[in-house]
Order: sequence, then structure tokens, then C-alpha cells
Amino acid sequence: MKRWQMIKLGLILAMYTIVGCVGLAFVYNSTSKTIAQRQEADLQAGLHEVFPRATGFTPTDTVKSTNPKVIFDAAYTADGPSGPLGIAVKVRGGSYGGLTTLIVGVSTDGTITGVKVLENKDTPGLGANAASPTYYVDKATRTTFPGQFAGKRLTDPFVVKEDVLAITSATITSRAITSLVQAVGKAASDALGIGGSSQGPQAVLPSADTVRTSSRPATSTVPGVSILETSVGTKAGVIVGAAAKAKATSYDGDVTVLVGVATDGTILGVQILECTDSLGSSILAPGFAQQFAGKKAGTPLEVGANIDAVSGATFSSAGATALVKATADALVKALAGGGL
Amino acid sequence: MKRLFGIFVNGLIVENPLFVIMIGLCSAMAVTTTVANGIGMGVALTFVLVMSEFIISLFRNLIPESIRMPIFLIVIAAFTTIMDLEMKAYFPALSKSMGVFIPLVVVNCIVMGRVEAYSSKQPVLDSLFDGLGMGIGFTWVLVALAVVRELLGNGTLLGFQIMPSSFEPMIFFILPPGGFLVFALWMAASNDLRRKLLAGRKPEPTQDSCCTLPENGSAEKA
Repeated sequence: MKRWQMIKLGLILAMYTIVGCVGLAFVYNSTSKTIAQRQEADLQAGLHEVFPRATGFTPTDTVKSTNPKVIFDAAYTADGPSGPLGIAVKVRGGSYGGLTTLIVGVSTDGTITGVKVLENKDTPGLGANAASPTYYVDKATRTTFPGQFAGKRLTDPFVVKEDVLAITSATITSRAITSLVQAVGKAASDALGIGGSSQGPQAVLPSADTVRTSSRPATSTVPGVSILETSVGTKAGVIVGAAAKAKATSYDGDVTVLVGVATDGTILGVQILECTDSLGSSILAPGFAQQFAGKKAGTPLEVGANIDAVSGATFSSAGATALVKATADALVKALAGGGL
Repeated sequence: MKRLFGIFVNGLIVENPLFVIMIGLCSAMAVTTTVANGIGMGVALTFVLVMSEFIISLFRNLIPESIRMPIFLIVIAAFTTIMDLEMKAYFPALSKSMGVFIPLVVVNCIVMGRVEAYSSKQPVLDSLFDGLGMGIGFTWVLVALAVVRELLGNGTLLGFQIMPSSFEPMIFFILPPGGFLVFALWMAASNDLRRKLLAGRKPEPTQDSCCTLPENGSAEKA
């Protein structure tokens, strides 16, 4: 008796659900085309906004995101009257109130052509001002938050409150968008083949005239640190230092660094190549990495003691510092061991 | 006819869902940073409320008591999704700025509360007018909140610059604390008016006793 009652109730509930679903299916069918058209029109308008002079956009798959939290939905080559003008990428990444979607244009001359916020779910009146055409981060010149990126060089540090003006009371939104723009800038410049020269082992081994891959890679005894590539720098045939690219887990992502060490154990140069922490991209600014140059590999390197953390990214700063230290130690050991 | 009009007017002041019954506050606080959002949310909720009350009142004798909640949710969720899709298709800008709050109409206490307390027991026509009254009662409060918050917090109304450019926007009003302050001031004004309205006549007991207040007008019960 009771069981029949249950089944009866279940069937009644199922009836209501089915009727509801059928109704929704009809509405979905009638609106899905319009919604898709709207989104496509938004995308086209955004692409033309970042490349006003482009005659057309060709989809390309040469631009790849290296960070799993930064998703490139689509990438286009902007075609001009005489050859490509640059690359436009529709990019998605986390912000304060959920995913935010942007279109970022990168010119062949190594500058950002423009940024357009397609979707932003942050607080209305605060973070949502990123998408407002009448919210100015610089009232004097009537520059909107995304507007300030137009013409910005990819070699700039992209640090909010330093070279990027923040939206008042919406620092997280400002940082999130800035790091998305920077990520697109990096990926697009790799795809366009510009600005890649400063990213080799040569850059951290300034005293060497030749840099070759080491015949015996350096290894680190620190758990979690993996050394990806080891290079040796020589000057007139004599080894002057070694460099290594290493990767380790940081706050909630990975950090990759390039470290160059001289034969006497002095750190010659450091580059933070990548940081996939949620808010860690600010440690990519050159100012952070420059602190390491000239320090001895054997001495303790610690955030708060002799290394300043990037504000808002203390965990990432500490993670990167520990990785630089481990890599430098491994290089010193490798240099002492010889046979490179 | 007069009775139906009475049901409709009831939701505006005397049993205003936000100021008197005090339900659905979360979305009211969250979206009232701009007037456009306030109007959009109000219209969206009114649509869902009227349609849900209509359908549930129509089927009220075919809904078994023990599974009424899931059925209410299915009906409300279906209308919310319909409205979400329609807004995405025809008012994309509004739909974007409302963000997550449109899907959240599903769990807005006003819809659930009115459906449970009123339309699941009352005839169709009464329910329609109740939904309309409650929806418009919700909408005018949202607009009233948003006008103050947008004007003082952003210097604009409906996106147009109203305040002189020398006016420094008071971010406080955009933030939740400012929202609560404005809400409390409006509620005080509205409840004062309500008391005056009720003073003249002895309030007749409405059918849904859940939502009527003691005669002194204090909101403690709610």
C-alpha cells in the first residue's frame, strides 16, 4: 500500500518534470539561435574594437595558453591590407565573482592594441566597472580600465598599482584582468616570434660569450624541484657559469624560473618565466627577479629577510624564492663537480 | 473587482514583501547598485512570480501535499530559466550585468513564500493579482533603493551623469553597508506610511495568516 503511494507520487513528480522540460526545450530552441548570434556579434565587435583597421580575422591555433587556469577560447590573426597586423585572443580566466572573458589584441610591434571586456560577473559598481565605458581610472584623460592597456609594451611589468591603474576598491578584478592581458601578450608574442630574445639562458649569463647545453644536467636534492634544462656559459672556452630552468609547485599552481650562477657561486641573473598561481602572476614583474642578482648561492635566501615579496603574492614570492635557492645550490654543486 | 484590487494593492505597502514580510532581501541588496539592474530584477521577479502563482494555483488540486515543494521548485525553475533565456536573447546587456542573480530567482524566498502561502490555496484570479502586487511591491522598493545608491555612490541615474563632475562618488553606498542603511531608511518611511494607512481601518484578517503582522505594525513577527 505504502509502496504504491510512493510510486504514485514519483510518477506525479515525473509528470510535472517532463512537462517543464518540454516547455523549456521549446523556449531554448526558439532563443538559442538569437543568443548565439548575439555572442558572435559581440565577438566580432570586440575583435574590430581591438583591431579597428583589420580587414578580416582568420582563426589560428598557434597561440597556446601555458596556464591551465587561463583558457584561450579562440585566437585570430588580424589581417590588414598589407599582411597580418597581429593576433587577437578571446581569453577566459578567474576573477572576483567568477570567470571573466576578454578580447585582447597584440600587435606585431610588441604592443597591446586593445582590451575589451566581454563578460564580467564581479560586483556591480565595483569590479563590474571593468566593463563600464564610463568608468575612468584616469579621469583627466578619460581612460577606462581596459582602455589603459592600448599601446602598452609587452616588456612592461604589468603590475597593478605600479604601471597599471587599478579600479577603486576592486584590486582583485584589476589584477585578474591584468594577468589575463599579460598571459595573452606572452603567448601572442611567442606565436608572432617577437620579444623572445631576452628569454634564453644567455639573459642570465651575461658574462658568457657562448652558451651551450650541459653534457651533464644539474640535479636538485630538494624534493619537488625538477630541473628542466641545464646550460653552461663559457668565455673564450673557459666555463664562467651555468644556468638552469627549474620548475616546482607553488601556492596553488606551478612556478618556473631560470637561474644563472657564476663559478664563484654568485647569482648572475634570475628570470621568473611562469607562475600559474591564482594571483601569482605579479611576481613575473622584473623587479622581483632582479633582487636575486649579485647574491651568493650559499647564503640563505628568504622572503622577508633579504628578498622582498610582491605584495598580494606572498606565497608565490616565497615559492619562487625557494625554487631559485634550490636551483642555484644545484648549479653550484654541478659546477664544483665538473664534467659539464 | 474591488476585492481583486485590494489583493493587488496589499503587496505594495501593507504587505510589501521586502519591507513588511522581509523576504528576498539578499538579491534586493545585491542588485540595487544601479537603477537599471533594479528595474531588470524587479521585472524578472514579477514575471516569474505571476507565472508561477498562476500555474500553481491552476493545478493546486492536482499537487499532492507531500511533494508540493519539489513541484513548486520545478515550476519556478522552469519559468526562471525561460526568462533567463529570453533575457539573454533580447536584453543581452541587462542579462550580463545581472549575472548570477537571475538564475537565483529560483531560490528567491518571495516566489517560494507566495506560492506556498498563497497561490497553493487560492483561486487563479486572486493568485494572479497577488503575484502582480507582490512583484510590483518588490520592484518599487528595488528602484527606490537603487536611485539613492546609484546617485550617491556613482553620481549617475540609469547610467547618465547627474551629479556635477566635482562630486566625489561615495563608494559606501555601493557597498553592502550602504545598502543596508538606505534599506533601513526606506523601510522606516514605508512602515510609517503603512501605520497611517492601517490606522483608519481595522485590518481584516487576510487568508494567509502567515504574513500578517500584529496591529502595532512592528516587524518582530516577520
